[in-house]
Amino acid sequence: MKRYLKLYLHFLRFSFSKAMEFRLDFTFRIVMDIIYYFVNLALFKILFLHTDLIAGWTLEQMMIFVASYLLVDAINMTFFSTNLWWLPYYINKGDLDYYLIRPVSALFFLSVREFSANSFLNLIIAVFIFVYSIINYTQPWEVEKLFGLILLLINGAFIYYLIQMLMIIPAFWTQSTRGFIDLFYTLGLAMERPDRIFKGWIRIIFTTILPFSLIASFPARYFIEGLEELSLLHLLSVSLVLWILILSLWKKGLRNYSSASS
Amino acid sequence: MKWWAFIIASEMRKILAFRFDFWVTFLGQSFIQIIISISLWKSIFESRESQEMMGYSLESIVLYYLIVPVGSKMLTGENIGFLSREIYDGSFNRYLLYPISFFQYKTLTYLTYSCFYGLQLIFIFLSYHILSGGIQSEQLINLLAGFIFFFMASVTYSQLALGIELISLWADNIWSLMVMTRFLCFFFGGAYIPVDFFPQFMKDILVFTPFPYLINLPIKVTMGSARMEDLFSGTVALLVWTILFHLGARLLWKKGQYHYSGVGI
Repeated sequence: MKRYLKLYLHFLRFSFSKAMEFRLDFTFRIVMDIIYYFVNLALFKILFLHTDLIAGWTLEQMMIFVASYLLVDAINMTFFSTNLWWLPYYINKGDLDYYLIRPVSALFFLSVREFSANSFLNLIIAVFIFVYSIINYTQPWEVEKLFGLILLLINGAFIYYLIQMLMIIPAFWTQSTRGFIDLFYTLGLAMERPDRIFKGWIRIIFTTILPFSLIASFPARYFIEGLEELSLLHLLSVSLVLWILILSLWKKGLRNYSSASS
Repeated sequence: MKWWAFIIASEMRKILAFRFDFWVTFLGQSFIQIIISISLWKSIFESRESQEMMGYSLESIVLYYLIVPVGSKMLTGENIGFLSREIYDGSFNRYLLYPISFFQYKTLTYLTYSCFYGLQLIFIFLSYHILSGGIQSEQLINLLAGFIFFFMASVTYSQLALGIELISLWADNIWSLMVMTRFLCFFFGGAYIPVDFFPQFMKDILVFTPFPYLINLPIKVTMGSARMEDLFSGTVALLVWTILFHLGARLLWKKGQYHYSGVGI
């Protein structure tokens, strides 16, 4: 554990010096994420001009949810996104060898090697939006609930990472995962909508099979209304099953990896 | 074969090279976006307990969001960030050597993608109407008019995208700048919510920008809900913005060439 922590600090140092090499791009990326935040906040503000409730939530409750998924997105962009972006290319070009011969877990190395310095600044902005939405929440709430929300959002970021991996790992067999990755980004829209809008089989998909609704909507619901024990159990067991599934698929994928470029 | 036919054929080969990816992308993305959008709007309509909002029924909102994914793809093509990579590895040289202009080449490759996605638009539109009880001649005319408007919007967007891509002659990477542009065009263009739902002050400002003519207007034309004066003002606006973006891109091209080393970075 200590060794991995030390290694991660090295990754951090390299990532910051790399980011500083391309200062204009660094700035552009910060502005890009700010626009993304603006668009998401404005979207619901505009919708609430025409209705008082969406999926049973008022505007201030929705803002907690929006701030939650912005936070998860910022965590993902900061820690995993850049790494996972390049992973299919490594598999496709046979560049994975370099990572497989290292004396650390290849999955760990490939998932967190590049820390996105510019997204870290956006993570601070996302935290600010989150705090702002909590401060402006007029309903009574307890500190334990806030603490629980933060824990569930960290779990949400982990689920987001796992689903993304689920879309990348097929690259070991199909060689190109562009279609699946595009699909992942489209599916990501489900994370940005309250789970109550989904009914029937769509709900089953987004809460169990591709559990985007567990990323931010369930945690926000836990804070706003409280979640029954069964839902909490569902959330934790789906996370666990997904994690086990990814580990097993990763191992299978590595066995199928030919090393040669394709 | 004429030079333009060569370019179109070569781009078509690229599009169809990964057929599996192509179908996953087309069917998957369209289906998911539609399902999520419809779920949201159904929930909004239910909570309001009304049949209509800002002139949209739930049925027309469904059609709107059916057109959004393919319409957006038709608008933006696929050439995001390519130029900066070409500058980076030095393959930008080819544009300086080709017997045709950089703008002709890039616009044509861009529009090949747009037309290809236009075929998907036709497919989606016809499927929707056939499944919901048959298609009428009036709807076919709307589809043709919508296709033309989307095509015009693609030309406008291609010149905007070219200008932004040319900034990579100064900056190392403009990927984020392109994504930013897409966000703004999609949001203010009505891809996320129809522009009719925006507050009045925003609508008043947006009239003077290219955004509502890029997605919202072509969709309304395709749905047959645009007024005649909208068609006229939209055509003029798209023409004016195309010229302005093209002139801007030409200026950047003229100045930027002197920043290019010819050997990559």
